Formats: sequence, structure tokens, C-alpha cells
Amino acid sequence: MHRRIVALLAGTAVALTACGGVQGGSAARDAAGFPTKPVELTVPSSAGGSSDLIGRAVARAVEKPLGTSVPVVNKPGANGAVGGKEVLGSSPDGHRLVMLFKSLMSITPLAVDDPDAIRFDQMTVVAPLTVEDYVLVVPAASPHRTVADLVGAGRLSYGTTGAGTGSQLAQALLFGAAKVDATDVPFDGGAPTITALLGSQVDAAVIQIAEAAPQVDAGALRPLAVFSEARIPFLKDVPTAKELGYDVVVDQRRFLAAPAGLAPEALATLQKAVATAQQDPRYTEFLEKNYISPWTDPADQVIPHLEAAKKGYADVIAASGITFKES
Amino acid sequence: MDVIGPALAGFSVAFEPANLLYCLLGVTLGMLVGVLPGLGPAATIAVLLPITYTIEPASAIIMLAGIFYGAQYGGTITSVLLRLPGEASTVVTAIDGYQMARNGRAGAALGIAAIGSFIGGTVAILGLTFLAPLVAGAALSFGPPEYTALAVLGILLVTTLGGGSVRASLLAAAIGLLLATVGRDPIVATERFTFGSDELADGIDFVVVAMGLFGIGEILFNLEQHRGTNPKPPPIGRAWPSRQDWRDARAAVGRGSVVGFVLGVLPGGGATMSSLVAYAVEKRRAKDPSRFGKGAIEGVAGPETANNAAATSSFIPLLTLGIPANGTMAIMFGALLLHGITPGPLLIGQHPDVFWGVIDSMYVGNLLLLIMSVPLIGIFVRVLAVRTAILAPLTVLITMIGVYTVRMSVFDMLAVAVFGVLGYLMKKVGLEPGPLVLAFVLGTLLETSFRQSMRIFHGDLAGFAGRPISGVLLGAVVVIVVVAALRRRSHRKTVDNDVLAVPGPTKEP
Repeated sequence: MHRRIVALLAGTAVALTACGGVQGGSAARDAAGFPTKPVELTVPSSAGGSSDLIGRAVARAVEKPLGTSVPVVNKPGANGAVGGKEVLGSSPDGHRLVMLFKSLMSITPLAVDDPDAIRFDQMTVVAPLTVEDYVLVVPAASPHRTVADLVGAGRLSYGTTGAGTGSQLAQALLFGAAKVDATDVPFDGGAPTITALLGSQVDAAVIQIAEAAPQVDAGALRPLAVFSEARIPFLKDVPTAKELGYDVVVDQRRFLAAPAGLAPEALATLQKAVATAQQDPRYTEFLEKNYISPWTDPADQVIPHLEAAKKGYADVIAASGITFKES
Repeated sequence: MDVIGPALAGFSVAFEPANLLYCLLGVTLGMLVGVLPGLGPAATIAVLLPITYTIEPASAIIMLAGIFYGAQYGGTITSVLLRLPGEASTVVTAIDGYQMARNGRAGAALGIAAIGSFIGGTVAILGLTFLAPLVAGAALSFGPPEYTALAVLGILLVTTLGGGSVRASLLAAAIGLLLATVGRDPIVATERFTFGSDELADGIDFVVVAMGLFGIGEILFNLEQHRGTNPKPPPIGRAWPSRQDWRDARAAVGRGSVVGFVLGVLPGGGATMSSLVAYAVEKRRAKDPSRFGKGAIEGVAGPETANNAAATSSFIPLLTLGIPANGTMAIMFGALLLHGITPGPLLIGQHPDVFWGVIDSMYVGNLLLLIMSVPLIGIFVRVLAVRTAILAPLTVLITMIGVYTVRMSVFDMLAVAVFGVLGYLMKKVGLEPGPLVLAFVLGTLLETSFRQSMRIFHGDLAGFAGRPISGVLLGAVVVIVVVAALRRRSHRKTVDNDVLAVPGPTKEP
């Protein structure tokens, strides 16, 4: 017991030091000997969100194969831009990584003007990580049992997890295609959206499967459609939007990135470690339990995927004639 | 549903020696980080999360929960002694608490805060034990329109803070509301008043505003007051409330417990609103409201009890509905997930040991905190004996470290200095920082929920009146304003109380 406490306190000290945002600027750079110090993983959002959880699960799994500690640093701000830019603007020695996500690169630019947004040429993609799918849900008390019921009900309001998110895009496209008079009500993330939905403050909302799962299990929310290409095993009775005749496929993907110009040796070391980490049973169990799938493409396919998605979304938005960018 | 059986079984989890130790560790750490403003429980829990991976889920959550409510105890200390409120819910305490400290009654203020926190916390845990599912349902009937009404009421209540005039408070509140608009628009995410800076994209952090206006502003003002002289530190006085103090504060503690428990259940802003409402209630009930702002013990007892009760009851939405009510709860949510437990409506049934173990450990934790407070208050009040020449720079240092830890931003350290200057100027012209800071906090809530409501109502303002809770709350707001206006009119003939009472810079006793 006593030793456990000592270990705990030591751990606290280490963690606190890590939290201080240790930035070794002048550390000896030795590509062959990478890593020479802890590898810091920046999660560009506050602690507790899904980004943070996945970041922590990866960090926990990658420490052993990498042979160094991987402290997670939360650097929220501007929907990920603050943390992202800070890491991508730092020295490309492999000791600072950032977890970025698809909506920031492929959806947000379509909704919000930002001349200063993160660009692909600023980053080296280290590894694709995860795919999370979205589900359209209504409160259990809602009279609507299918998407057809919902879009046939006349005027409705729907909750989104924020402007420029997959949640907003999926619904804007779905309700736009169905020609419903629907108003979006943006909330600050998944939790407030679910709260509003549970209280029937809005008629429907699109949230991530992991966030919906406990409420669906408890019978508090009813899933109507998913936005993946194929049905989701956990919700095998729920049709995809595509099956219902709406060509709306939206998901959230996350990947690890380092500043552009990362040395190939360091990149190889990192990629090998992440690949091993992705086989860690605790990591795979965490993903499974939270309905997250691994993103299995090779790392060099990440940027093409994101670019194609951005163009695809822009085309659908233009074709459907909806206004996605608001003022 | 049978509550008693599983609740008692939870004690067997809470009383396991290891869990008692984790509880003690948690509340001690919590108290310490509470003392350092800025480094809040959220950051601490995030940092400690990795080291809980190897321990039992119930133990981990017991410790992390201890950090959270322990921090509520610690946060009072800097508010009272140094006028540094590290969280929105302790801003109100800084007003009368700091004045009590200046009057040599720091021990009484901290003592009553500790006792109030213990009682408020315990009442809320009892509520959590017996009423949780009931209250959780009620929290869901609070949608954007209800929050809009609540925020309007809150902004109205900030004008009761301190001893200044209503007009001065309204002016300060208006500045606060304006500052709250800096950053990305909460609905369409367009940047406002950011001048292209990423640091401002998420708005100005509460800690920056509060610590600048209160802490740094006060230091600058004192520097000027005591130029060339060596100011005498305030007397320390007794380290514990007297019998009379307790008699004065007793009712406030009782009312604060109830207010805190009820409002704490509301996700977002519950704790802050509860401290504000508790203060307003005490001031309204006081025989001599003019004592408020000058060191009224009820002005500390009520809000401090309420914010602690609210901290505890904010666990209700998390544990019973799976909804995190605030930033710290979001991290607890994550902690549970990383331990393989999904918080949600089914948590009680699936993991009764975690649910009841954690709740029952809070009884223990609160008792531990009260016991720890007794000797610690005696030590902490000695801070006041330190000469200003040493204490002032030290306070600035604590502030800077605290501000930096919020998001590791050097920009924020500069911003806190700017707000320090603003706080100094406000004090010079007799504007109180309290209404500004709280209006700043409530401004975001007001704007976001108002605009969400308008979308829900498809642009029809009448929608607010059509919903029972928002209708009643807004009706209350109208009544309060009308009654106050009528009262002022009848007063104006005799003494124009409010306007003439604008104090210049309040002379320190």
C-alpha cells in the first residue's frame, strides 16, 4: 500500500511537470536516437471530450512501444486551431504531436471563413487513428418513428453539436434534401445537445454513436438513421441515410500529425509505435466499447481523403442549394 | 425504488481502507489546488487521470470527486484573504469575505465558509442519495428558454452585489456583457472583436477577468493609497467564528444549502447562479442591507454554503443521466469511460458499487475537509500578517501562475495585467468589479440560450411566455423591476438613496 502511494505521488509529480508544457527547445537532436525525451501529444480541445479520450487512449497505448512517456496536453481554442497551429509551428523533431480531426479540415472551412486555418502543407501525417459515425436521434417521447415521419411533420428544429461540425452538415443535407422547414439550434458539443434532446427542447439531433449509445440502451433516445456507408453493427436495425434515399455520408475521423518536415527516421519510429499501439488489447477494447472503428487506410491516404471529403461536401452543398454558411 | 439498501452497501465501498485513503488524498489535493486560483479542479483531474488507470474505478472516481469538492473549500481561502476568486462561484464570496478580512475577521469568514460548506455539502449529498432521479428529471425541463430567463434574473441580481448604487452596478454589468461578446459567435462561429487573434477566438477566460479586476486591481489601488508609507497589515483576530457569528449566519447556511442543491442540478452556470441567488436572498432578508459589501457574515455564509451544495448536486446529472453539468464533470465523464464505465441512465443498475461508493465517500470527504480546515485556517490567516511589500508581489505571482495554468497561455498573463489596470480604474471611480465579472459569466449564457430559444421558437418572442418555467421566471423579473422602480420613486421625494449613495473609492477602514 505504502509503495503504491509513493508511486502515486511520484506519478503526480511527473504528470504535473508534464502539464507545465515542457518544451525542450535546445534538446540534442539525434534522429537515430529518437525519441530522446518524452513525446508530448497535444489534444487541441479541453479535457473530457471525445478527442481527449481518444488522445489519452492512444497515448496510454503508445508509451510502451515508443519507449518513452507520452503526456497528453490539452490546448483548447478556436475549435482546435490554437493547439494545432502551436504544434505544427514547432520544431519538427517528432517530440510534439497533435491529434487533428476531419471536421476541422473538411467541414469547418465550408461553414466558417478563416483565412488563417490550418493547411495540409503545414503537417506531416503520422498515422490515421479512428472513424466515428453519426446517428440521427429523437427523444423517446417523440411521435416520430422513422425519418419519413420526422420530415413529414412540417416545421421542426434540430440540435447540432456546433457550427461547422459533422452534426450540422449531416442534418443540413438531410433536411435540405427532404425540403423541410427546419431550423438548426447549435449547442456547444455533444453533452448539451443530448441534454436538450432528452428534455425534448429540439425535435431531433445528430450526435456521435458513442454519445448516443448509453441513452439508446436506456430507451431515452430513439435512433432513426445513421450516416455511414453501411449499417452499424451496434445499430443493425437502423437504416443508413443512403438506404432511405438521401445521399448523405458524414463521419468524424481523427489522425496524428507532426509539423511538416519531420525526419523520415523519426516518422518511421512513430508510425511503428502507433501501429503496435493500435493492436494493444486495452486500446482495441476501448474503441470497441465506445463504438469507434480504427481508420485503417495508410498514412499517405489521409490528406487525399480529407481533401476529397471537403470537395465532396462542398459539391453536395452547392447541388442541394442549402445555405451552410450563415451570418 | 429501494434506496436504503444499496446506499448502505455503498458505505462498505467508501470505508474500504484504500478508498478512505484515496478520499483523503483527493480532498487534500483538491483543497491545495483550490487555494491556487486558476489551477482549477478540472485541470488537476485531467493531470491525475493517467495515474488512476491502474486503480479500481470506484477508488479512482472517489479520489477525483474529492479533488472537485475539496477545491470548493480551498477556493474560498484566496477569495477572502487576497481577493482572488479563482472560480465564478466564489466571486460573490470575495466581496464580503475580503472586507471581513480587512476588518480582522478573516478567521470568522473562513470558519463560517468551512462550516457552511460542510453543511451545504452534506445536505446536498443527502439530496443526492434520496432525490437524485427525481431532480434529474426536473433539470431536463430546463431548456434554452428557461436558461435565458435564469440569466436575465441573474443579471438583475448582480445589481444587488456589494454596497454600490444600482446605477453603478448596471454600468459595470453592461461592460461585463460587452466583454462576453468577444470571441467566436456561439451560434454561427464567426469571430467577433478578436482582431484576427487566435488567443481571443474563444473569448476572454473568466479567470483572467476575475483575477485581474479583483486581485491585481486591488493591489494597484492599495499601492497608490499607501504610497511612501508602510501600511499596517489588518489585525488577524480570532481564527474561528464566535458564537455570535454562528447565530448571525445560521439561517443563511440553511437557506444556502437549499438554494445550492436546487440550482446546482442545472447543467451550466448552476453553481454561479446559486451563489448569486444566495447572496441576493440574504441581502433582501437582512434588517440592515447596507452592511453588505462591508463585511456581512451572511454574505459569506450563504453563497459559500450554496456553491458547495451546488458542486455536490452537479453530480446528479452525470450519475443519473450521463450528462456532464460543467467542465469538471466532463472530465469525470471521461475518467469513467476510460475505466470502462459508461455514465448514463443505466449506471445505477450496472455499477451500483461505483454509484453508491462515490456518493457515500462524499460524506466522508466532507467530514475530512471540515476537520482539515480547523488547523489550516489558523495557518492561512497568518498570511495577512505578511507585509504588503512582500504579500503584493507574491499575490501577483500566484495570479500569474494561476492564469497561465488555465490554458498555458502567455497572452492571458498580459490580459490579466490589462484587467488589473481596468480594475484599478473602476475602483477609482467607484465601480465594483463583482457585477462586471458575473454579468460577464452570465452574458455568454444569456446570449447563447436566447439565440437558441429564438431558433426553437422559429423567431417568435411570445414563445418565452408560453412555457411555464421561463414564463414564471420572466414574470418575476418584471415584478422585481417594477417594484424597485416604484420604491425608488417614492423614496426620491425624501432621500435619493440610490443615486446619492454612489460611493467614491470606498475608504478602507
